[in-house]
Amino acid sequence: MQSLTALLGLLNLIFFKPYNAIKMNHLNKISILFFLLLNLFFTACEKDNPTPGEDFGTFDLIFDNRVGDQAVSLVNADATEFPYTNNMGQSFNLTLLGYYISKIELAGPNGEYFADEISTGADAAQVKGFYHVLESDPNSQNIRLDRIPAGKYDQVTFTLGIDAETVQEGATGGVLDPAEGAWLWNWDAGYIAFGIEGRSPASPREADQFNPENGVQIHIGGWKDIAGNANMVNNVKRITLDFPSAVNIESRLSPNAHLEMDLLKVLDGHANNVDFSTTYAVHAPAKGKVFADNLAAAFSVDHVHQ
Amino acid sequence: MHFSNLYSFSNSLFGIGLLALLLSSCTREKGIAPVAVAYEFAAPAEFPDPIYTFKNNPITKEGFLLGKRLFFDPILSADHTISCASCHIQSLAFADVPLHGVSVGVNGLSGTRNAPALANLAFKPEFFWDGGVTHLDFAPLNAIESEFEMGSCIEDVIEKLNAHPQYPSLFRQAFTTEKVTTPYLLYALAQFMNRMISDQSPYDQYLAGTAKLSEPEIRGMDLFQQHCASCHDGILFTDYSYRNNGLDSLAIDPGRARISAFAGDHGKFQVPSLRNVGVTAPYMHDARFRTLEAVLDHYSEGVVASPTLDMSLQRGDQLGIQLTDSEKAAIIAFLHTLTDRDFLNDPLFRRE
Ligand code: HEC
Ligand code: HEC
Repeated sequence: MQSLTALLGLLNLIFFKPYNAIKMNHLNKISILFFLLLNLFFTACEKDNPTPGEDFGTFDLIFDNRVGDQAVSLVNADATEFPYTNNMGQSFNLTLLGYYISKIELAGPNGEYFADEISTGADAAQVKGFYHVLESDPNSQNIRLDRIPAGKYDQVTFTLGIDAETVQEGATGGVLDPAEGAWLWNWDAGYIAFGIEGRSPASPREADQFNPENGVQIHIGGWKDIAGNANMVNNVKRITLDFPSAVNIESRLSPNAHLEMDLLKVLDGHANNVDFSTTYAVHAPAKGKVFADNLAAAFSVDHVHQ
Repeated sequence: MHFSNLYSFSNSLFGIGLLALLLSSCTREKGIAPVAVAYEFAAPAEFPDPIYTFKNNPITKEGFLLGKRLFFDPILSADHTISCASCHIQSLAFADVPLHGVSVGVNGLSGTRNAPALANLAFKPEFFWDGGVTHLDFAPLNAIESEFEMGSCIEDVIEKLNAHPQYPSLFRQAFTTEKVTTPYLLYALAQFMNRMISDQSPYDQYLAGTAKLSEPEIRGMDLFQQHCASCHDGILFTDYSYRNNGLDSLAIDPGRARISAFAGDHGKFQVPSLRNVGVTAPYMHDARFRTLEAVLDHYSEGVVASPTLDMSLQRGDQLGIQLTDSEKAAIIAFLHTLTDRDFLNDPLFRRE
């Protein structure tokens, strides 16, 4: 029965394609209608017992940002409270925190596999599979994946940042449009993968047009992994995380995974802890590398909900 | 995969469809195209394959004309005083006027680099003297948002364009978009710039066998091949590599190292194309030489040592490329054969 439907689906495809391009006559219309009805009939019969390959479900990836054991809560640039402390004992606050997630894949123990649809283009509607997770926008922290083949899944893989393949497509809309808030560097054109801004009394930065007094800005970018760019720093990371337990995805369920990002692991994970008295303006790939190398370890799956 | 098979299979089932297909293709082939301006991109036969992503942004008449209008419109600058064409002037192969060694933007602020000529950009893998930009689409953002150039922020520019009496409908015609957005602005500018192909210089005509070069020009060509083509290579006169051609013992501008953060790249700049070089004075990234004579004197007598000086400009203790006065003159004569008057005067690029 299944293979028959598949065959009919294929026939449908064959008959449909060319006749979109040229004028249809009545005979064609009738034949298409006939196959369509047949197809519908068979699919309708199978609705009741979903089997792998025909049922699809959704899955939510929910990003929770933390600083050690504290939840992140953003403040305005004029705030005088500094709720977080780094390993050097320097207090700081955060006015901005975010990152790009893209090219998400799910995998399961029995070969289950799902790749989020990826597309780019000038029109915002063409841009799919790229997510700008911003602490300031709770909606952006909840990524809804759709049309996942039903099955068991226990692993997620994603790209942190925007990779060479995407940048080299040229100007792109939606979350990659700088006038819509995309984090795009002009001078070394490409996207910032991960960024924080805030203040620390330890930072000697003086106020200017772009920075508050004691400002700290750490922008991790750099994506060049292309021919002739041997000396470039590529800070785009591919990160794979295992779930503590497998989840079932099917149309009747709405499971999710809570992913945690611990900023302290980004700042302090490398050989030397971050020192805001000397490191407070990171705006180039090479300077961001020490932090980028910590990113994979900063993300984890806290728990999953079935 | 087997798309052609699918098509023929279904067509033989429905003969009427096949007929319709045949008829339409016949009329298309036989139809005589009206004599019209060619807006589409066509790579000159001798040039390499273009690199630009034309699949995303092919040149159309509407897109090109919109790009042209934007290129000449000071609306892109913060105080409505500067347009792209203020620094990129067609009669100078879209380089800046000699008076502006380094470019001068809004509020009279000076940048630190010389505006390069704009031509044959579709073939260029990386842009700017340091190669920081790897796609033509992104190049204009640097001018629009630089405080030394146009001083705007892109959000403001997009807002101004959306509020304009004509631009929204021009964008709709060019891209069927309801709203002016950054990518479409960049697409339009890229269409205008991608169409800037310069391939009709006397040198090109010489290669095509339709014109002759003079004796000193031929001699200059041979000398150029011998001494300069290792870097200014091929039909576009650049291999797009980053090199230090011996301007300074310690370059003020880090050049390529600004992008790579690699000390071995300090003072290296992208080898510029020399097409139309006769009209793009002053020369080098910081506009230090006013004439081609000064450039040739530099290569012959002025090359200075530094840790990143290109190997081809040092042979033991000997620095540079030793040339006699008559050799220099011959090379300069050859460089002038790269001036493409058709391109400099093409009404296609003129403000409407
Ligand atoms: C104030 C002068 C100025 C203005 C205005 C200006 N440019 Fe430029 N342009 C420059 C300079 C200087 C450079 C080289 C900068 C560098 O290499 O760092 C440049 C480089 C470029 C390049 C790279 C060319 C190459 O071969 O690498 C492009 C493309 C370009 N400009 C397009 C534009 C467009 C489009 C506009 C209008 C939106 C514009 N420019 C406005 C001065 C200007
Ligand atoms: C080692 C590679 C190399 C060789 C050999 C070389 N050049 Fe260059 N040339 C460059 C680079 C790199 C620049 C840009 C340097 C800068 O701006 O800092 C340049 C710049 C120029 C410019 C200025 C172009 C402009 O638009 O500003 C001219 C003219 C020029 N070269 C001509 C020559 C001639 C003629 C020869 C042979 C006598 C030659 N070059 C040999 C690498 C080379």
